[in-house]
Amino acid sequence: MERSETYHHRRLDCGIEFAAMEMPGRHTAALNNRVAAGMVDESELLLGLGSIVEQTISKGTASKSARDVSDAFDAIGAQSVGGVGRQSTVLRCGCLPDHLDQAIALHAEILRTPSFPQEYFDVAIQLAQQELTAMEDDPQELASRLIARNAYGPLLGRHELGTKETLGRISRDDVVSFWKKNFSAGRMQICVGGPIDVDAVADAIDRHFQGFGDSKPAGIENIPVEFSPGVRHQHKELEQEHILMCWPGVAATDKEHPVERVMLGILSGGMSSRLFTEVREKLGLVYWVGAWNEHPRGAGMMFAGASTTPARCDQTARTLLREIDRLAEDITQEELVRAKIGITAKMQTHGDITRARVGELSSDIYHHGRPRPADERKAEIEAVTIDDVRGYLASHPRDQLCVQTLGPRPLEEFQA
Amino acid sequence: MTQSNGFHEHTLDNGLRIVVEQMPHVQSVAAGFLVRTGARDETPDLAGVSHFVEHMCFKGTNKRGWEQITRDFDDMGSTYNAYTSKERTVYFGWVRIEDLERQVELLADMMQSTMPSEEFDMEKNVILEEIAMSDDSLERKVYDLMHERLYPKHSLSWPVLGTTESITALSRDSLHGYFADRYHPGNMVLIVTGAVEPKTVYDIAQRICGDWKPATPRPDRVAPPKELTGVHKGVVDRFQRQAVGVLFPAPSASHEDRDVGDLVASILGGRNSRFFWNIVQTGIAAHVAAGRLDYCDVGMMLAFGFTEPDKADELLNAMKTQIAVLCEKGVTEDEVQRVRNRVATSLASEGEAPYYRFMQMIQEIDIFGLPRTVEERLAVLEKASPAAVREYLSNWPMSGDGAIISLGPRDWPA
Repeated sequence: MERSETYHHRRLDCGIEFAAMEMPGRHTAALNNRVAAGMVDESELLLGLGSIVEQTISKGTASKSARDVSDAFDAIGAQSVGGVGRQSTVLRCGCLPDHLDQAIALHAEILRTPSFPQEYFDVAIQLAQQELTAMEDDPQELASRLIARNAYGPLLGRHELGTKETLGRISRDDVVSFWKKNFSAGRMQICVGGPIDVDAVADAIDRHFQGFGDSKPAGIENIPVEFSPGVRHQHKELEQEHILMCWPGVAATDKEHPVERVMLGILSGGMSSRLFTEVREKLGLVYWVGAWNEHPRGAGMMFAGASTTPARCDQTARTLLREIDRLAEDITQEELVRAKIGITAKMQTHGDITRARVGELSSDIYHHGRPRPADERKAEIEAVTIDDVRGYLASHPRDQLCVQTLGPRPLEEFQA
Repeated sequence: MTQSNGFHEHTLDNGLRIVVEQMPHVQSVAAGFLVRTGARDETPDLAGVSHFVEHMCFKGTNKRGWEQITRDFDDMGSTYNAYTSKERTVYFGWVRIEDLERQVELLADMMQSTMPSEEFDMEKNVILEEIAMSDDSLERKVYDLMHERLYPKHSLSWPVLGTTESITALSRDSLHGYFADRYHPGNMVLIVTGAVEPKTVYDIAQRICGDWKPATPRPDRVAPPKELTGVHKGVVDRFQRQAVGVLFPAPSASHEDRDVGDLVASILGGRNSRFFWNIVQTGIAAHVAAGRLDYCDVGMMLAFGFTEPDKADELLNAMKTQIAVLCEKGVTEDEVQRVRNRVATSLASEGEAPYYRFMQMIQEIDIFGLPRTVEERLAVLEKASPAAVREYLSNWPMSGDGAIISLGPRDWPA
């Protein structure tokens, strides 16, 4: 029982790249506003600036106080949730379909006319400093931050919170400058889905964003990854040792990306996957183990990780690596089919959630520059063969590895 | 079989209840077993056994070894898992409609686990790792500290995972005895949400679970003390933040005042709340909230936050000030309306996905037998008002000292 979904994609007069999905019968509508302004656009001395802009952009407009903005969202039962990525800032919103026009108008208002009150700017800096402290209590997040620098290099490997020093340098003027430089219609993508009238939604967006800065399409340039292999350790008093390892993968647009997804499914797709079976079920070394990939625009990185008590960390790291390397040796047809079903079945089940589908649409517009219908994404997974996986593993050998441990002791016997 | 309030229910002869919610507009289905036993139903020597049983249900049956169980889940592309709480254990899978019967059969087979002894020691290692992981989490540690100190000598005080000592000492025979005692049809509910016909579900359940043998009911629970007082603190040097909480008695999960309690919590410490504007947006703490934590016979209103250790006093005072203002002046109709609007959207969102509906229904099915419909939940909020909040605050006062919880690197309060 497949649903009918109709896709639309065009550049609006105001300059915004617009994509929409008609999803009849849904109970909610979802809206993703993406602005080409991310961590890579920050000055090296002002790391964390993009996040401060995102945190303060809804704290007042030309005609509304910070509380007025929040109350206006609450009046339609909607919420705008933001996040800063490497190369873009995204504001997501879910609402009842009848309120979509108001949600668009509110987003236009906060994006176009933020007043950045000094008092909320000062608090945003204080809260970001506190979040840095909070990260020290979150070993998984801290380990991710540590490995990112070596996985991606100094530009793509930035963390959204910056450092205490760089946060301390940021002024309200820096916030205003960053917004003026990077926030305009020509640098925006808006994706919408739900039981909507697409032309009416496009008209509303055009009306609310007309004249928002430069309407000329800006585009986003891909930035090369600077990968630094090696084994690194940071000491921290913890009950468990956290182990992360990564190696280069392929971009979301690469023709081998579906192959990589299936290969990841075999490695870490469910409880029957290789890592869960070998590291947890057969050896009882861990509670958490997993593998995943990340995609800066135009690049890809593969990750594997686990946490275990210190006495078992060498064996855990060795087993992780053995399983990654064993992929090239003995993948079975049964594993391949299971991994493919794992991906395609979840497309159907999770596809019941409107905001999840709109998130996928937004990702497709960002990476591929066009909507990719569910049938197309499903077909490319179903087409993957064992030879494709073997070919992928042969052409992308795990010959360089970046390893980061965080905990009471470094790895002693590990050789990447 | 009966239909009530949009839900369909049926009980097999052996006592297994089945609750179905039809969601005709979706293309998936969520199914699972609610087992009405959790950490509070354990004895001290078996602390952590409910959670251990949950792990062992994935380890083998008369029909399947652990590898086959996990392969069968993954062959459907199921989104599946299980969890154990203080009062219940839940197993579930979210699959395509055509896989409903396979999913129910697999979950039902796990409910007939053999608790294989050859897997027992290995799984014990996994659980000891889970305990170590939990010990690195300030949030988990303060949750456990709170229960340990507020309900001393009561079974609600024991951590769901057990302790390193209790899990190390646990024997496979004790585990099997607990499992045999609690996993029987009279103590379980099969819940299905999605694009399914109730009759189809009943027929599947009859075929697969109809021969399960009934057994004696779970022992009655003893209610814990309702008073919440005193200062309860712990010091753990390796954390950088201080967790600070103040607690007051609140309606239990079965009490009719619970919805107004949730409304109060939302206005006090939810999104766009008094805590947000007066505590977060003044830079005192990045994370502060209020919520009602409830069990079948007791509840607590918890105001809590995480901040830098030297701001602990400021955070506690700020939370108490906001609570005092709320008690003195009540809430406004605008604040109540904002919560109604938010809930309307979140209920619409919940209604899109069988998995979300499944998760939302569990507690009400456990406590009341049947959940409320979206319309019934909205109707309760429509009736809520500033006057209802005043009445709530008179029934559930938050004006005294309450109980104070503190955990972090600082030995505070002195």
